[in-house]
Amino acid sequence: MRRSDLGEFEEVVLLTVAVMVPKAYSVIIAEELERETGQPVSTGAVHAALQRLEQKGYVSSVLGEATAERGGRRKRLFTVTALGGRVLTEVRSVRERLWERIVPPTMLEWS
Amino acid sequence: MPPLPPRFPDRILSWLIAPHLREEVLGDMHERFFRRAEQLGEVKARRRYWRDMLAYCRPAFIKRQPEEFPNPTSIAMLRNHFKMAFRNLIGGKSFSFINIAGLAVGMAGAVLILLWLHNEISFDQFHANKDRLYQVYGLTGNTDGAPFAIPITSQPLAPALKKDYPEVEATARVAANDKFLLTVDNKSFTGIEGNMVDPAFLQLFSFPLVAGSPSDQLIDIHSIVITEKLARKLFGTDDALHKTIRLDSEDNFTVTGVLKDLPPNTRFTFEYLLPWDYVKKIGWSNESWLSNNTPTYVLLKPNTNGAAFSEKIKDLTRRYAGRTDVWTHFLFPLDQWHLYARFENGKPVGGRIETVRIFGLIAAFIVLIACINFMNLSTARSEKRAKEIGVRKVAGAGRGLLIGQFIVEAFLTTVVGGFFALLLVQLALPVFNTLVNAQLAIPYSSYGFWLSALGFMLLTGLLAGSYPAFYLSSFQPISMFNQQFKKARLGLSPRKFLVVLQFTFAIILVIATIVVRDQIIFAQERDKGYANNDLIRVDFVGDIEKNYLAIKQELIHSGVAESVTKTMSSVTKVGSRTWGLRWTGEDPADTNTSISLFSADADLVKTAGLKLIEGRDIDIEKYPADSFSVLLNESAVKLMGFKNPVGQVITQPYSGQTWRVVGVVKDYIVDSPYAKIPPIVIEGAGAWFSTMHIKFKPGADTSDKLEKTEEIFRKYNAAYPFDYQFIDQEYARNFDNEQRTKTLAGLFAALAILISCLGLFGLTSFTVEQRRKEIGIRKVLGSTVGQIVAFLSKDFLKLVLVAFGIAIPITWYAMNQWLQDFTYRIGISWWIFAVAGIIAVLIALLTVSFHTIKAALMNPVRSLRSE
Repeated sequence: MRRSDLGEFEEVVLLTVAVMVPKAYSVIIAEELERETGQPVSTGAVHAALQRLEQKGYVSSVLGEATAERGGRRKRLFTVTALGGRVLTEVRSVRERLWERIVPPTMLEWS
Repeated sequence: MPPLPPRFPDRILSWLIAPHLREEVLGDMHERFFRRAEQLGEVKARRRYWRDMLAYCRPAFIKRQPEEFPNPTSIAMLRNHFKMAFRNLIGGKSFSFINIAGLAVGMAGAVLILLWLHNEISFDQFHANKDRLYQVYGLTGNTDGAPFAIPITSQPLAPALKKDYPEVEATARVAANDKFLLTVDNKSFTGIEGNMVDPAFLQLFSFPLVAGSPSDQLIDIHSIVITEKLARKLFGTDDALHKTIRLDSEDNFTVTGVLKDLPPNTRFTFEYLLPWDYVKKIGWSNESWLSNNTPTYVLLKPNTNGAAFSEKIKDLTRRYAGRTDVWTHFLFPLDQWHLYARFENGKPVGGRIETVRIFGLIAAFIVLIACINFMNLSTARSEKRAKEIGVRKVAGAGRGLLIGQFIVEAFLTTVVGGFFALLLVQLALPVFNTLVNAQLAIPYSSYGFWLSALGFMLLTGLLAGSYPAFYLSSFQPISMFNQQFKKARLGLSPRKFLVVLQFTFAIILVIATIVVRDQIIFAQERDKGYANNDLIRVDFVGDIEKNYLAIKQELIHSGVAESVTKTMSSVTKVGSRTWGLRWTGEDPADTNTSISLFSADADLVKTAGLKLIEGRDIDIEKYPADSFSVLLNESAVKLMGFKNPVGQVITQPYSGQTWRVVGVVKDYIVDSPYAKIPPIVIEGAGAWFSTMHIKFKPGADTSDKLEKTEEIFRKYNAAYPFDYQFIDQEYARNFDNEQRTKTLAGLFAALAILISCLGLFGLTSFTVEQRRKEIGIRKVLGSTVGQIVAFLSKDFLKLVLVAFGIAIPITWYAMNQWLQDFTYRIGISWWIFAVAGIIAVLIALLTVSFHTIKAALMNPVRSLRSE
């Protein structure tokens, strides 16, 4: 991790984008997160996080096709960029290295 | 039919969210809503819709995207306005100069007047108790029997008021005197005004002390309160507390308080205060209710109705004096003291407030004239700028934008003008101060001054800029590019109207100046009835009165003086007034009119050069019975209706004293040379005296005689410096007020003409510019220079003549009103108007001629070769 500029929520959103590609846009992401976490997630929060990620260069976006249920409005589809993928991998390896160093007795205490 | 998302949050969002995000956001919201409506039902979906909406209320969504090609915002446009205004100022240098000079001179004039007005209006307004302060006036009959207001009262009145009326919080009597000799360490000063006042004086009036305790001042008879200025003069330091000052070689006073210097805007001019008890000590106290000699001030308790209380004290003197044929009283409130102190029939009818109003009006006029200049020149220049405006309009400038631009231009010009105006005011203030006899200064440190200066400039800018702004911006772009445009504008009437207005003001002021000047000259040439050349006056101070006879002998024997007479007051002034004299053959109505008193011991006719009509002069040296002989003037003889005045007997009602008439003198002017001459009784040696007149022998030089006179006075009155007055100078001071009015009117007339001419000058240059081709063609066809100048000047002359026509009736009416104040006055004759008219026409012609002659002399080839 070069910088700690990937917030927790941003990280989850970025992961979800990676999961949902090529159909990743804010509504789908919000619903996916709601399902996974059991917490209500608004599209606004997701949209804001996506904007930040795009600014940092971790995702890129294009405008997709219009659908009737959106009132004929277009959606913005997101994909993870190479930089975004590298950051995700980095974060993951940091976590895994740390996980591996937790000694079993500690884990036992938690369960 | 599928359920619809709620409309209201949508509306909020489409208003709130930045335009480039609107599509995605609303799309997301709607899609989510339909999905939820399917899964959870419409009600829940709606509820969630609201909550989701809130999630978008964050800066990331609200902030607008910067545009690639930004639209000019109002700030950018304003910056552009300033840039354009600045370029226009630089571009048309002569135009800007005329504009700025006109505005600067106009504003400087207005600021001077406003400073003066502020000083006048703020007179005595700084007293904390100003709403409860009153001066007690007496009300009695005048010469013609009409009610007459007297600003002074008897001395016992003040204590009686305090004792009898619970509404009175405090009273103060004020006896002013500048004759005391102040001595500190063998250094003596005289001519410093001091007031003897009741202890409550400092409670009534807010003159703050810088040293000494605020309570218990002026109670101890040996205490004195002085101003910082006097402290510096006497002791060379502000720290004067507990130091000693000797008065008149006998009494020592200890300084118990030092006052902050009096502000210039107060009626009081004292440098030191003495306890009232000192009046008694020097024998000036007068417990009679029938002698008015002292101003009395009253402080009423809070919430007392001054008018009602004024009614209550009406018959105070009548009750105490036990007679019904004397004066009544009323209270004169502080806010009228300075501005409304002119009484007619016992009622305050005006006074300085009239001057204040007139000068306020003149200030407004002058600013208006300067603004009109600006308007005129801007519209005249519009022909040059029409194309610019046309292009702007075609390029999409709205009317509001153009108005804004012209207002900004006007404002910028005004600010530059204002800066120069301030400079001018600073330069002119010393001269102006001596002119109006005031101590005005620009209050640089005052917050309010800068605020009002800014407001003033804004207002002037708006006034000056409004007409060009609305007029220029109203042009149709299509007509601006049309060649006909110039022709169509030539006969424009508003501009002519403005020139007429300007010249009307200028001509009014010119006529007013001439009328005031004539009135002054008229009064100056009036027969005074006495000869005031080689005549001086020396007040009785110190030992002069005691040694009067010796001084008189020595003055005459040394050959300095022709004759010497002691009198009640200066011969130029009324000594005192009395009411209720009785004589044989009296008309009851006449006995209660005011009669002026004067006094002389001997040789008055010779000293003052009066003309004796009948009988003889009073001469106590020749006729020992002349203590109670009197002289009458013609007016008094007329009032009393004597056929053979000499030998008649007049009875003084209060003392029962009888006076025998020994002679009649021709009427001579006392007080105002504009007023009717009052009936005067000149008492003999039995009266009181306060000064002596000395008539020098004619010839030789005056300074030599003054030196000899001084030597004699030094001998008999060593403690005091020799101080004297020339009677002709005293008489000349009667004209000060009117002289001042004349100078000011003349000054502002000159200003108005100057500004108007600046405007006319600029206007001609534009007209001539426009008609270049016409002039060229005329010359080619054989017009002479004279003909061209005449035809160009004709238009402007017409305007000046119309202005003249308007000014005549206005001035005639106004100046007649002004002259009503003077009993002895001129009629306004036609030649005054003629002179003013000729002056206006000449000045206008001269102004116009510079450009017209230049245009007429120009080679037609130059104006015709292009196109």
